[in-house]
Amino acid sequence: MLNFLDVYERALKGPIMSEEEFDIKVFIPRLNEVVKRYGIHYNKENPVPSDDMAADNLFEAAVDFMSQVGVYCQDTYRIIQFSREEILEVLREAPGRCFAGEGKEACVFGMRRPDEKKRPWFHVGSGIVATSEEMATNLIEAYGSISEANSISISALESIRGIPAMAGSPAEFYAAIRGIKIGREALRRAGRPGLPIMNLISTAAAAITTIAASAPQFGLRTTDGWLCGALSEMKIDFGALNKVAYLHSWGANVGAETAPVLGGYCGGPAGTAVVSTAYILMGLLVQKGNYQLSFPVHFKNGCSINRDVLWVVSTSCQAASRNIPMPVIWLGYMASGPNTKTYFYEAAAHLLCAVTSGAPAVQTPHPFKAVKIDGITPMEAKFGVEMGKAACQLNREEANALVIKLLEKYESQIETAPDGNRYQECYDVVTGKPGESYVRLYHEIKEELAEMGIPFE
Amino acid sequence: MSKKQFMKNIVISIIDGDQDKIQESARDALKANIDPLEVVELGLSKGMAIVGESFEQGESFLPELLMAAATFNAAMEILMPEIEAQNKEIPKAGTVLIGTVKGDVHNLGKNIVSMVLETNGFSVVDIGVDVPSLNFIEEARKVKADVIALSSLMTTTMPSQKEIIEILEEKNLRNEYFVIVGGGPVSQQWADEIGADGFGKTAVDAVDLIKRLLSQRD
Repeated sequence: MLNFLDVYERALKGPIMSEEEFDIKVFIPRLNEVVKRYGIHYNKENPVPSDDMAADNLFEAAVDFMSQVGVYCQDTYRIIQFSREEILEVLREAPGRCFAGEGKEACVFGMRRPDEKKRPWFHVGSGIVATSEEMATNLIEAYGSISEANSISISALESIRGIPAMAGSPAEFYAAIRGIKIGREALRRAGRPGLPIMNLISTAAAAITTIAASAPQFGLRTTDGWLCGALSEMKIDFGALNKVAYLHSWGANVGAETAPVLGGYCGGPAGTAVVSTAYILMGLLVQKGNYQLSFPVHFKNGCSINRDVLWVVSTSCQAASRNIPMPVIWLGYMASGPNTKTYFYEAAAHLLCAVTSGAPAVQTPHPFKAVKIDGITPMEAKFGVEMGKAACQLNREEANALVIKLLEKYESQIETAPDGNRYQECYDVVTGKPGESYVRLYHEIKEELAEMGIPFE
Repeated sequence: MSKKQFMKNIVISIIDGDQDKIQESARDALKANIDPLEVVELGLSKGMAIVGESFEQGESFLPELLMAAATFNAAMEILMPEIEAQNKEIPKAGTVLIGTVKGDVHNLGKNIVSMVLETNGFSVVDIGVDVPSLNFIEEARKVKADVIALSSLMTTTMPSQKEIIEILEEKNLRNEYFVIVGGGPVSQQWADEIGADGFGKTAVDAVDLIKRLLSQRD
């Protein structure tokens, strides 16, 4: 089987072309052709389809697409190509599990199948920027205090000593180390120091910062997890490849991170579903990931809860969970922010979609597209887990009916969704406790969703 | 064939992304002594506007926009020599320099904005991704940009947008260019905070903003 250096060598020897040529002459026409040949068709009435044959057909389309298109390396202007046989080999050899965490938190992150009642792995939290270390500590302590949390996503810091943590700068490096120390200390306060942090390194945009701040003396362990992102679409660069090389040399968990954009180069929902599935193949072939983070979004509003994106999530999740041994965390970007009713409707829809479609893991749905600084609270993390546990009691058909009802509640307002409150506006910054009104809203929403048919414990 | 029919064929070819057909239509139009600038205005630009509107309505996506742009360029290969031979030039709505700031390699949103600007008659100079702050200013000077459009998709790269405006001020160049900002984490609040001339939430917002800014100057 190809090792990482073999893959890198292909980035030096593959067919050469400009990025524009790759997009226009390879990616788009091959995708259109595969969508047509395999008859991939979006049905807006059925955002969570229950069709195993269609899921397997989508998987076949993705394999075909990957074998024809490959992955473009921006730094060498060449395509890293894989034959169909190589793709099938990596699928045969992939372990389909990831070992994460230490001591009593050591756990195996494995696969699930559509309609399976087994709980998904809960990846709790978000890398949303926190403006103060105090807030970040409270947030992460709260995440760690959720007993069902299997792994944690820590906040990013925007500055260090008042100096903006600009990408690739020394300030970013210092902020990254500080963020890691806060994360580890907060999890210690929660009584769970062995919990793995699996969104490393959220403060570090630059590869050099990630690698430097990952030195073990700063607190990270091989049983944590690092995200190594692809670029839109089906592209990679030396930054990501350098991170992969470093992490595999260390034996650390590598998380391939991919976000197909509906409306961009992928075109409509059908093409996006093929690319979303193909990305998981890329995660195995190129990043050689132990796990993956996938978050399809809509190009217009950067959200994952549009009807067509939910369909992409469901179908590609089904295709992957049935056929690709890769533990994937499915993440959604919500239109609405914390302390709003619509946030919970949107989050419920996304989680129903992903969990019943066989998501091995789900993450706390990110409020307001994760762009509002301080725009997350532990309440959303708590809801993510409670909703995830409820969702795994349902099958796809039941989820579909509920998602349609939830869409009625928020679909028409996506473009004008409320940004909600910042952490310090609905939580006590000192005690880390929620304000009464947010607690009240939370209980009201859960009651409403329960009446709709969601089986909360 | 009437002039109207020529233009209709050109519009359809843009919508269909048919490069061979549009080149044939462009040659036929020239043979029929139709003003090439009219072909651009009443045929090509009209087709691009239809595709742009369809994109904005969510009925078509970036691939259709790209194919339309490639078809437009295919037609221009035939028409441009004749336009130049007649000592004419295609009027442009303005020149926009666009790029993704230093440390950020995201380009999809920027590419969409570039396409939509071009379909609206702007001359777009795309200087790519991970662009150092000074390079924006150097290039803007070289191409005589009217607008500098800065894209950032991560909160940690947004400070570069502020830095570019600060450098323009230090060099007493701030009034030479309109500066607009965009990208996932960017907001109107951020644009106001750093002294940008505006924020484009979507590609069409960016176009409307630029048109508004340039009309104020004129």
